[in-house]
Amino acid sequence: MNRKPRIFLFQCQYCLASSDDQDWVENSLPENIKLIKTPCSGRISPLFILNAVQSGAEGVLVSGCMPEKCHYKSGNLGARRQLDEFARQLEYLGLDEGRIRFIWMDLDERGKIQKELDLFEQELAKLGLKQKFVATFDKEKIGFES
Amino acid sequence: MTNLNALKQEVSRILKEKTVSMVMGFKDGSLPMRTQPAFFTSPSEVKHLIANGFCTNNLATLLKQFKPDKKIGIICRGCESSAIRALIIEHQINRENLYLIGIPCAGLLDWKEISRSFTQEITSVSEEGNQVTITFSGGERSLLRSDYLHRACKQCQHPNPVGTDIVIGELSPEPEHSIMDELAGKSADERYEFFKEEAERCIRCYACREACPMCYCAECFVDHITPRWCESMISKGGTHAWHIIRAFHQTGRCVGCGACERACPMEIKMEYITDRLNEDMRSLYGFEVGESDTDLPPFATFQLDEKNRFLK
Repeated sequence: MNRKPRIFLFQCQYCLASSDDQDWVENSLPENIKLIKTPCSGRISPLFILNAVQSGAEGVLVSGCMPEKCHYKSGNLGARRQLDEFARQLEYLGLDEGRIRFIWMDLDERGKIQKELDLFEQELAKLGLKQKFVATFDKEKIGFES
Repeated sequence: MTNLNALKQEVSRILKEKTVSMVMGFKDGSLPMRTQPAFFTSPSEVKHLIANGFCTNNLATLLKQFKPDKKIGIICRGCESSAIRALIIEHQINRENLYLIGIPCAGLLDWKEISRSFTQEITSVSEEGNQVTITFSGGERSLLRSDYLHRACKQCQHPNPVGTDIVIGELSPEPEHSIMDELAGKSADERYEFFKEEAERCIRCYACREACPMCYCAECFVDHITPRWCESMISKGGTHAWHIIRAFHQTGRCVGCGACERACPMEIKMEYITDRLNEDMRSLYGFEVGESDTDLPPFATFQLDEKNRFLK
């Protein structure tokens, strides 16, 4: 078994300023990465992240906009507090540190999402593919190959 | 300790003067060591009022059953008064229609623990200072109160009521800040094992939710049908999700009364998670529940310039 770590990417639909990046994320993501696009990072409920972890993801990456760059003025600021604390809670209950990660995109950061995903994948491979909290893993429902 | 006579006089007075139409307190249950919340509407009923270490419910939970314009008197201890403060900040209840009678609290006793340490049937219990005298068929035994306190009461930060209209009885000294951390010094795997052990015993009766003063959502996330957020069965995924998200929704809101643990028929530990989350809120944002009557809970607000692990 030499598969790549499964990653869920939660993406705010406004955070990638470059249309090339957005196009890449939507159409040419590798098979081990699943995209879930939301209107704003403030829409990402902790339950989304928990469901991703429970359904067999080795890593969860949340990408949102920088402070003051939010399309809805302040959605990302609330999300920043809540999701950071939620990651802390899961780590406290035994999830390995670093399996949940956030990136905040600035307007001029073209190509950052590819780099961050690469880096995240390498670090997840180091953490290993054994996952805690996995409860329901319906391959067809989630759509992962392996 | 509470002066029960003075308390009864005050309750009778506000009922007689029609300051309130109802007072919430406790009366004896049908078994020794059990009590039940009571709603006093006339001065003649007040003789049944009690205030002892077995009043396990948090009375603030019951406020949501009444219309916000009803004038209610409520006998509150430290955790009840903090919960009422938090509910006022969240616009759930109206302070003008409440009359808060504060009583100091010496901590609640764990009746399950007490009855486990006796093989005979317990017939009556009396409390005096730090002594609890248990009468059982065939004898009498004295116990130390501090040995049988509930977990939440052992680490209680606020035994004294806050923001009340009147306080009856002598206030107890404020204890030093300390939390019992069941998971401290454990590795990630051990912490996960501990959590699994606790959460997977859950039978999903939601007694913890019903007992909690801060759980007032009209529709809880576990009751949602479309979309179904988490499994409603007694499965690994369902019980984990319930215990994780329930605790997360209490971040910076949990008053630490321990009503959830006392209500749990499976005796699942839950407070270790919310304690830790509240501890984070204290260190990150300097927020403590019930400390002020204007500060919003940390997740209801934000600052533009704050930093965290992912945004340095």
